[in-house]
Amino acid sequence: MKLFDVLLGRTKPAQPNLDHLFGLPGAQITLEASLGLRPTGQAGVCFKPATGQDFSQTSSEVTQLLDLGEGVKIHEESDSYGYRWAVIADDDFGDLINEVHVVNTTLQDHGWGPQLLCSVFGFSPIPGGAADPTAGGGAPSVAGTYLVYLYKRGSFYPFVPLQAAEKRDTDRERLLNVTLATDLSMEPDLERWFPLWGLPVH
Amino acid sequence: MSTRTRFPADRGLTARMTLTVFLLGLLYALFVTVLFLVGLKLVFILVIAFVLLFVQYFYSDRIALYSMGGKIVTREQAPQLHGVVDRLVALADMPKPQVAIANVDMPNAFATGRDQKHAVVCVTTGILRRLDEPELEAVLAHELSHVAHRDVAVMTIASFLGILAGLLTRVLAYAGLFGGFGGGGGNRNQGGGGGGQIALVELGMLAFSALVYAISFVLIRTLSRYRELAADRSGAILIGQPRLLAQALVKVSGEMSRIPTRDLRAAEHFNAFFFAPAFAKGVSLSSLFSTHPTLEKRLDQLTKLEAQMGRAA
Repeated sequence: MKLFDVLLGRTKPAQPNLDHLFGLPGAQITLEASLGLRPTGQAGVCFKPATGQDFSQTSSEVTQLLDLGEGVKIHEESDSYGYRWAVIADDDFGDLINEVHVVNTTLQDHGWGPQLLCSVFGFSPIPGGAADPTAGGGAPSVAGTYLVYLYKRGSFYPFVPLQAAEKRDTDRERLLNVTLATDLSMEPDLERWFPLWGLPVH
Repeated sequence: MSTRTRFPADRGLTARMTLTVFLLGLLYALFVTVLFLVGLKLVFILVIAFVLLFVQYFYSDRIALYSMGGKIVTREQAPQLHGVVDRLVALADMPKPQVAIANVDMPNAFATGRDQKHAVVCVTTGILRRLDEPELEAVLAHELSHVAHRDVAVMTIASFLGILAGLLTRVLAYAGLFGGFGGGGGNRNQGGGGGGQIALVELGMLAFSALVYAISFVLIRTLSRYRELAADRSGAILIGQPRLLAQALVKVSGEMSRIPTRDLRAAEHFNAFFFAPAFAKGVSLSSLFSTHPTLEKRLDQLTKLEAQMGRAA
C-alpha cells in the first residue's frame, strides 16, 4: 500500500489522535507535586482553517456548543501564521480537557480532523511554590509554561518561552519532559518541539 | 514537470528532474559508448551504470542544492520560514526537512533528497520577496508533498530504467555486429568497402538508440508532469486552501514572464539541459511561462479542489 502511494504520488491527510489528552489529569497532579505548577485554566486548540462554507459552519458550531457550558469562555483568534486558535478558559481543569475534546471531535466528525495542528495547555507557578520566581529561585523570567499536544503524533512536548524575544528555557523544558514521562506520551523527536511564539493562550 | 511547467513551485523540481534525466542520460551514454569503444565487456558496463545510479541516488540532495546555490539556514537565521515549515510538517505528520535559501532573484522553490530523512526544501530570495505569507506557505506545502511522495527517488529510478533500456539495446546491437564480423572475416582484410559498411551500421544504431532514449525521455517527462499535479493536490489539501496555491502559481508565473531574459539566464546551467533535447520546439522561455496550458491545467485542478472543499462532508 505504501509503495503504491509512493508510485502514484499520493498522501493521505494525517488524521488526529485524540486519545492521549486524557492523560492530562495525571500530569496535572505530577506537575503540582514535583514542580509547583498548576493549570492557568486556559487552553487553546490550534487548527488550519480550510476554505468554504462547510468549514466555517463547523467552526461556528464549535463556539456555539461550548458557549452553552457553564463557567466556560471561548473566543477565536488568528495567529501570524494563518492558523486559528479556539481559546478556552475554564477554571476546572477536568472540564477544560473535556471542552478541548469537544472542539477536536466536532472538527473530526465533520471530516476536518486533518486541519488540527496542536492544542496547548497553560500552567503557572503556585504562589510561594517551588517554581514561583518571586520566591527567590533565581529562575530566568519565564513568560509561561505550556504543554503542547501534537494531534498527528499523539504526543506532548513542553514549551517554556522566556520574556526575552523568541527565546525558550530549554533546561526547564527538559526537566518537564523527564518529569512527565510517566504520565504522558512525550514527543521523543526534539525537532518537532517547535516554538509557538506569541500564542494567544496564557 | 517537464520542461514546460516552469512555475516557481515546480521549477526547482523541473530543474532537478531534468538535471537528473539529462546528466544521467549524458553520463550513461558517454560512459558506455566510450567504454564499449575501448573494448570493455557488458558486465563492466552494467557495473559502472549501477555505480552511477548509486551516486545519483545518494547525492541528489547535494547536487541539486549545489547547482542552485542553496544554503541551509538555521532557525535563528530564518525563524519565519522555519515556523511555517514546522507547522506544515506537524500538520502532515512528516519529519522536518532541512530548510535552505538560495540567493537568486528568480522566484523559485524546490525540494530534493532521496527520502524524508535526507530532504531539503529550498526557496529563493526572489520568491520570499514576491509572495506573501499564505502564498509562500502554499508553495512550501507543495514542496513538502514532493518530499512525502519521494519524487526524487521515483524519478531517478524511472529515468535510470529508461536509459538503461536504450543503452542495452544499443550495446546488444553492437555485440551482434562485432560477433558477425568476427565470425565471418577473422582478421580484417576486407578493405575499404567493409569500413564504410561499419560506419553505416554504426550510424543506424546511433539513430536507433537515440529514438529509444527519446521515447523514454518523453515518458519520464509525462510522469513528472503527473507528479507535479499530484504535489499540487496534496499541498492544496494540506493547507486546506487550494486557492492560495493557485494564487502563488499565477503570481509567480506572471512575474517570471516579466523578468528580462537576461535574468532568466542566471539559471542557464539548467536551461541548457532543458532545451538541449530535440523536443522543445524552439518555444521561447518567456512564452512558456505565460501561455502554457499546463498552468491552466494546474489551476483547473486547484479550482476543482476548492469547490470540493466547500462541500466536504
